[in-house]
Amino acid sequence: MSRTRPSEYKATAEGILRDHPEMRTAVTAATRTFNSHRVHGFGEVDAERWRDWMHQVKNHLLTHLDTYLEQAESNLVTHGARVHWAESAEDARTILADITKSHEVRRIVKGKSMLSEELELNTFLGEHGVQVRETDLGEYIIQLLDEPPSHIVGPAIHRSLEDCRELFGRELGTPPDASPEELAAAARRALREDFLKADLGISGGNFLAADTGTLALIENEGNIRLSTSVPRIHVAFVGIEKLLPRLEDLSAFLQLTTRAATGAPIGNYVSLLQGPRRNDEPHGPDELHVVLVDNGRTRLLADERAWEALRCVRCGACLNICPVYRQTGGHAYGWAYSGPIGAILAPAYLGLEEAMPLPFASSLCGACADVCPVRIPIPDLLVYWRERAVEAGLTGRTEAAGMRAYAAAAERPALFGAAKHLLRHLPWEMGGRALPVLGHWTDERTAPPPSRRSFSSLWKEGID
Amino acid sequence: MGDARERILGRVRQALEHRDSVEHPGDFGAWRPDGALPADPVEAFTKLFTAAGGEVRHFDSEVAARTWLDGFASAFETVSLGVTVEGALRPERPEASPVSASLGISMARCAVAETGSLVLDARDGRRTQLLPPTHLVWVRAADVHATLTGALSAMKEDLPSGLGLHSGPSKSADIGQITVKGVHGPGRVIAAILS
Repeated sequence: MSRTRPSEYKATAEGILRDHPEMRTAVTAATRTFNSHRVHGFGEVDAERWRDWMHQVKNHLLTHLDTYLEQAESNLVTHGARVHWAESAEDARTILADITKSHEVRRIVKGKSMLSEELELNTFLGEHGVQVRETDLGEYIIQLLDEPPSHIVGPAIHRSLEDCRELFGRELGTPPDASPEELAAAARRALREDFLKADLGISGGNFLAADTGTLALIENEGNIRLSTSVPRIHVAFVGIEKLLPRLEDLSAFLQLTTRAATGAPIGNYVSLLQGPRRNDEPHGPDELHVVLVDNGRTRLLADERAWEALRCVRCGACLNICPVYRQTGGHAYGWAYSGPIGAILAPAYLGLEEAMPLPFASSLCGACADVCPVRIPIPDLLVYWRERAVEAGLTGRTEAAGMRAYAAAAERPALFGAAKHLLRHLPWEMGGRALPVLGHWTDERTAPPPSRRSFSSLWKEGID
Repeated sequence: MGDARERILGRVRQALEHRDSVEHPGDFGAWRPDGALPADPVEAFTKLFTAAGGEVRHFDSEVAARTWLDGFASAFETVSLGVTVEGALRPERPEASPVSASLGISMARCAVAETGSLVLDARDGRRTQLLPPTHLVWVRAADVHATLTGALSAMKEDLPSGLGLHSGPSKSADIGQITVKGVHGPGRVIAAILS
């Protein structure tokens, strides 16, 4: 499946719903399960207090980001790691290419990393004759299918057991009725060879504690621990927003990120890495490279409203609860990060025009804000990017005019009251369609005619 | 690339120029409803580690542990032993490299009750912790911390190149959302607690 762009959202979404209704079934089932586990996981702790605390830690980190970046770099270097700085995806790819060339790297194993998707590392390495093997089982499945991930946490949630049976039968010779255990065992055997032969392991980074230079990675399978322990070189790509001030701060973040993602108390495996193998250690990589990546993050940090999106811990909880995401899965969004969080990151990372129409791919129901472990005001930021898009003339003319008229009326109570009265009494087809909030909603539906009396007048009279 | 560093830090500073600075909220309290976890850390660890699919054994003495170990290890052809596993806790079985051994035995640096995690230190040997299909991990009851914050704080002044928190057997639900064990790491993990 070819990678699409955000601008193709509507067509891709329609294509998925029309040609692959089974994807909607699979994605809806998987996200409902994830979400019910999150509800349970949040309920076991005082999640509201944890969320407040994490919100503040991350805002502290982001408002002192320069200091903490320098501190993290200094501690990593002290432990023998090499630190690289990448302004763009191209920079990051060049840094990786330099490492693979100077070390004559032929084979790479990779742990799941959304940043590596954002940087499009696999395509780049393939073009340079380096074999890259995704080792997370979900990532392995979609690599064999040549598909992008459809979810931040579960990249293959859009694929069923039947799909996997067919795929593994073709690629690994498993029988057509193989059980999930047999399929996993076949993948384990194939990938074990890859781990042992690889020259280099790539990972992302969930967090980087500045005061010790500790890189933290969360997973369930053990493939990240293997990718970062077995090959002689480990390269970690870390977004600059992933820092945390202190080692102890990891405690809440490791726990609530996992509770938000899968409901478990903590990821089955957590790696806390401080550098390459030392003399008193029998195994581990001889080199650790940490690539600190900007690629749009400083642009987002500079935005007076949207910078708070940088708190994101990539748990996927907002995808799991989103009624829009659930219909299609992540492919429709045409970018590494899908769902509500993808829709508010894309305008900063890709540019507003390139990100269109993702901020509109939401019903603004607000469920995402209720589940976010770091309290990102996602619906507010969706509205913010919509306003910016309207200002920039990136939306349809009717909708833009409607928004402007609404804004003008809302600022003047007398005019607002008059407009309300007019809409209530005009024939619906003439007035109602001009309401900006209805937009495409009324393309395939008939909006109910408005009540002759307004809510505010009923309220004044007293509602029984 | 030195320039990239300066440019990124420069842009960060510029972005923060007019931003109100936010204070760190202080220590994390790991707040939970009353009674959500047993008060005894060993009991809480046992509960969570078992719930995650791991096995837990308790031993009152090294003699009792040794007796159990001889029987347990006899079912495995070869073992890979962590560097810091003490003599009495090393079974008399043929040793093999972690790549081919059927059982890995490690000594935990410590454990965490609130997450049900064994904390493994790179100085003990990372491959032994990951490659054999069954993993036996010794941990002393006194080293079971109530909270992850407590464990991190205690280890902070003596960090190896890598720590691994293992909170149960390797698992995945990536194939049709059905959970399977032992995908890459060990499919069977036994935490053996020594009092």
